[in-house]
Amino acid sequence: MESNIFKQQKKYIPYILAPGVLIYVFVVLTPLFIGLKYGFYDWSGGPKKIFIFFDNYIRLIHDQDFLSSLLNNFKLMVVVMFFQLIIAFILALVLNSKLTKWKDFHRFAIFLPVVVSQVAVSILWKLIYNQNYGLLNRFLNSVGLSFLTQKWLDDPKVVLYSVAAVIIWQFIGIYLVIFLSGLQAVPNELYESAQIDGANAITRTTKITIPLMKQTILVALILAIAGSMKIFDHIYVMTGGGPGKASTVAAMYAYNMTFKRFEYGYASAISMAILLVSLSLIIITQLIIKLISNSENKGIN
Amino acid sequence: MSKLRKFRKSILNIFLLGYSLLSIYPLLWMIMNSFKKNSEFMVNNMSFPKNLNFMNYVDAFMTSKMNIYYINSIIVSIVSIFLILIIIFSIGYVFSRYIFVGRRLMYVLFLFGMLIPTHSLLIPLFTQYKLMGLLNSRMALILTYCGYNLPAGIFLVEGFVHSIPRELEEAAYIDGANMIDTMLKIILPITKPVLVTSMLLAFINIWNEMPFALVLASKDSLRTIPIGLANFSGEFSVNYTQLLAASVLATLPVIIIYGLFNNQIVNGMVSGSVKG
Repeated sequence: MESNIFKQQKKYIPYILAPGVLIYVFVVLTPLFIGLKYGFYDWSGGPKKIFIFFDNYIRLIHDQDFLSSLLNNFKLMVVVMFFQLIIAFILALVLNSKLTKWKDFHRFAIFLPVVVSQVAVSILWKLIYNQNYGLLNRFLNSVGLSFLTQKWLDDPKVVLYSVAAVIIWQFIGIYLVIFLSGLQAVPNELYESAQIDGANAITRTTKITIPLMKQTILVALILAIAGSMKIFDHIYVMTGGGPGKASTVAAMYAYNMTFKRFEYGYASAISMAILLVSLSLIIITQLIIKLISNSENKGIN
Repeated sequence: MSKLRKFRKSILNIFLLGYSLLSIYPLLWMIMNSFKKNSEFMVNNMSFPKNLNFMNYVDAFMTSKMNIYYINSIIVSIVSIFLILIIIFSIGYVFSRYIFVGRRLMYVLFLFGMLIPTHSLLIPLFTQYKLMGLLNSRMALILTYCGYNLPAGIFLVEGFVHSIPRELEEAAYIDGANMIDTMLKIILPITKPVLVTSMLLAFINIWNEMPFALVLASKDSLRTIPIGLANFSGEFSVNYTQLLAASVLATLPVIIIYGLFNNQIVNGMVSGSVKG
């Protein structure tokens, strides 16, 4: 990798690395230790900090509000993942077909919401969902579907799905582009020979496309799982976690614990729990993927 | 072409067009209604405005301090991006050309940074800055944005430098140039495309970022656009059209940049998120 000529320059390396590494350690790694440390303290921001060992964590696993906020993360994860991946996959198949036109325009349009600020998107959808003036209820009324109108953000039974719809709408472009690049890697000859054998579009999709795109689908899956733990902005702006606690997610709960109840120690413990849950989710999915691909390889051998 | 095929073709095209419209219509609706008076919006928000009324935009600047938020966002974005570009260029270069003590560890740490859900560090970071007296400062935001945007950029630069042949640098070293000269005069011009992509992605991230800004710089005079907008939505929740005008102002820079560089942005974002 290195020749002598390069080695002579090594003396500069520490100076080149230092600023970036220092900033990175300061804002990404030290907070990790700060969170770990204060998770063991009873501390409400003042000079008094009491070391209480695992009491915060014991409180955490009995805290119904925290558990229900975590459950909301999981509900959102399942709903968002399911629709996002399926709709994006169908869109990618259609967009990849020889029969469709204006491909660049469609890709441009469907990806556009991804780059727009989540706060602006949330404000916009809050108005669309508005019970009295909102676009959605007005539209439903005007086409004679009044029975479908809802208190989209004010009904505890509906609110999570309304939020999920916005998240699906905003981020589907990412999954569309991932699937498109996966589809372009599938060799055309396979389809042609399948077509000669008389396979129809659905068989071709389930028997050729999906198996060949397994890797891509799994990447999208991991991305969707990781994304679901990051949901915050949409909820903060659209519902504030309400009505009641119906749409509070874990990050929001930690935020409230800090800024409304000033329980810094407990909020630190919550943050570490979120970290643990997210990392375990990602690691578990990756393990499952490995297991699946290993068993398949054995099958081939 | 058979009739069936023609039928299929039009069905697929209509479906696709329908979905694309679903993606952009809400944004067009936002722009359209931002030109209406609030009273007009209440009566009818599905049609075009009767006449273009720029009052909402003027008010957004005059009464809801969008000008302050704009300036804050611009300062924070520019300084952070400046730091990010210098750092990812230098670390990415060194990573791809040299083996040194601690390289593996640093590599793993930067990778780990892409895996950590930032929301789990929101409160600890707040605590840390509070203990150090750094809360409510531009510095706090700039350092944070810089740190969290480093890993993606470093790996992008590193991968790109790998594809550059070493002969150019070797020749420069033989001629007596040092590492810094070589980086600036030979590598930097070649690496420009990746740096531009990194810059665009970092800009979009920082311009839109909300949770860190909410927690670290909540003072009114330091608020960035997303926080200003979120607060505005809480305070003046009845003046809908002004809220929409402020939202249009907040999204305009990003939409313009997306319009100009959409291929780079789409590919950069997707490859970045896939690696993470």
